[in-house]
Amino acid sequence: MSSRDLDPYRPQHPAQLADVLERVLDKGIVIAGDIKIDLLDIELLTVRIRLLIASADKAKEMGIDWWQGDPFLRAGQNGDSQLEERLRKLEEKAGLPTEER
Amino acid sequence: MAALPLREDDVGWYLYGVVANGADAPSAAPVDPRSEVVLLVEGPVGGIASRVSLEEFDEAVLPERLADAEWLEQKIRAHEQVLEEALARGAVVPCRFCTVYRDEEELRRFLAGRADALAAALARVEGRVELGVKAFAARAGRGGEAAQAQSGRAYLEARRREQQEREELARSRADVAARLHERLLAEAHDGVLLDLQSRDVSGRDAEMVFNGAYLVADRGRFDEALTAAERDVDGVELELTGPWPPYNFVPEELGRT
Repeated sequence: MSSRDLDPYRPQHPAQLADVLERVLDKGIVIAGDIKIDLLDIELLTVRIRLLIASADKAKEMGIDWWQGDPFLRAGQNGDSQLEERLRKLEEKAGLPTEER
Repeated sequence: MAALPLREDDVGWYLYGVVANGADAPSAAPVDPRSEVVLLVEGPVGGIASRVSLEEFDEAVLPERLADAEWLEQKIRAHEQVLEEALARGAVVPCRFCTVYRDEEELRRFLAGRADALAAALARVEGRVELGVKAFAARAGRGGEAAQAQSGRAYLEARRREQQEREELARSRADVAARLHERLLAEAHDGVLLDLQSRDVSGRDAEMVFNGAYLVADRGRFDEALTAAERDVDGVELELTGPWPPYNFVPEELGRT
């Protein structure tokens, strides 16, 4: 996080899209210009932009790999996601046949 | 679309922000690449503006455009780049994304009519930049206990424990946020708390527990406060962003009449 000895008026990295959106869409002076628009909910917009723009590889390159950190989507050590594990446990408890894979 | 020049009968003016009269126009690429960024001077202030096609930026078509994520990101990045370029040269009062006038006269009328308020807003941010500070804490308590419970009673007890832990965690995080804000505010001219970003948005595995923006003149002292805060507040990792055009420190309502 060291930022000393650098031009204090120049960002050192291209900003994360979420941080740009947070400001550009929601802050700054609002002028009653001729053209008025309703900007959508930023959170929604951000997620949608990420999903649409970022192919998995491009996203990783940009440092957007949140789905890899999501325990429900990520495969565990045995190759199963947490969701699958929980489902299997529930099935076992309920005495239902557990799907073998 | 990109190859055709702008049609004179289809042109609006996109306003990025306002700087002092005498500043240079930023050299960054405009939101419409067929145009160029210019400074429209009125009295003590200049509007950073460029021409845009109303086929893209008119009210009637904008909602559709905004739904196009790729278009939106491009335009938003361009908006930000122009303002960052302006910030590197001096004080700037940023406008919100997509501030568009149908003609130059309207835009000039706004600048001339609100010149005093704009000059005051510029004076407030002169020599200062906005810095963003976010704090992340490792996600604690994955809540696996209840899921592994062997009996109904054990399940309920585990659920209650998890609930209590969650509440405690929320309290301690609110406390962390308050302490961080207080310390950073002491080295800044002003500061605001922003909404926390969800993990989808922040792009991090760790949970965001704090999101603040500060108007800072003395970068060195602020950095020291940040380093000290990170050292003293246990279990959080701080992330600094910016410098930003001072989006969070301009009077939002200035343009409304």
